[in-house]
Amino acid sequence: MTPLVDIAFLLLTFFMLSTNLNTPQVMEMAIPPENTNIDVKESELMMLFVRDDGKIFYKLGNEAYTAIEMKDIRKFAVEQNIRVKNRLITGLKIGTGAKYELVIKMLDELNLAEVDITAKLREEAIKRERRFALNPMTDKEKEELRNL
Amino acid sequence: MPKIKKKRVGFVLDMTPLVDIAFLLLTFFMFTAKFKSQAENEQKFTIKRPQASADTSKLPDQNLVLVKVAIDSVTNDTAYYYNISDEAAKAKVVAALPEIPAEQRDKALIKTADLILLEKLVKQSRVANIKMRFAVDGDKRISFKWYQDLMNVFQKSNATVFNFVTEKRG
Repeated sequence: MTPLVDIAFLLLTFFMLSTNLNTPQVMEMAIPPENTNIDVKESELMMLFVRDDGKIFYKLGNEAYTAIEMKDIRKFAVEQNIRVKNRLITGLKIGTGAKYELVIKMLDELNLAEVDITAKLREEAIKRERRFALNPMTDKEKEELRNL
Repeated sequence: MPKIKKKRVGFVLDMTPLVDIAFLLLTFFMFTAKFKSQAENEQKFTIKRPQASADTSKLPDQNLVLVKVAIDSVTNDTAYYYNISDEAAKAKVVAALPEIPAEQRDKALIKTADLILLEKLVKQSRVANIKMRFAVDGDKRISFKWYQDLMNVFQKSNATVFNFVTEKRG
């Protein structure tokens, strides 16, 4: 029986080692259809910018650009959403030269923030409706962000 | 004085349960093994996927269009690689689009950097199978411009819900 067992174990090790354990997962993304324009109150707008070099800035309504670190994004997003109680629109604007890795990281942070926001709003008996858009940066914004 | 060891004569260990378990595991791993698809066989690049926090949603197997954005490891150029999981739909799409270069037609991965062709591919895929789902499998080192163009293509083709393929962090 020994040769049989030898071969069986050999095959077993082969299949065990060749099995791919980290299967990819997915992150769902929804974009608005073409030609949709939504009127937005400036006081209910939070814009996040990722510059080409990877630096992140935020802008609330009409206020000035302020730099922010990746690790603070989640807390910030939760705070702002709770402040304006569900009516906040989050806009994420990415520079064309920014790396895809960073884009996914930002989306991930905002997705994680979403969990907290939903929970906190539920305490106040508000049903969370997410309003989010991912857009390219306009030339004007690029210009404004260049010297910061 | 050393202990006198008793010689165990004719000692037999019953291996049957061990072998049973070994074969059980062997069959399990053999059946769950996934073999390389034609598309994976063709590709001359490795995709370094971006990392995201754990998510339970997995990539669907059927009715899937996978758009890979990757850097060719030989020529070092970035391009889109269009893969349709469903053979019948793929044949329909290729038949409807004479502008696909001849050398690409039989391949599982259609390589293109042309956004007009990409848009036609997306539209035709939706015509061929309305249940088609789209996923973007991109390399994290590539700049956002490529993804922005791709998202514009999706938007124009009315494929407004799609997935980003990521890897679990940690």
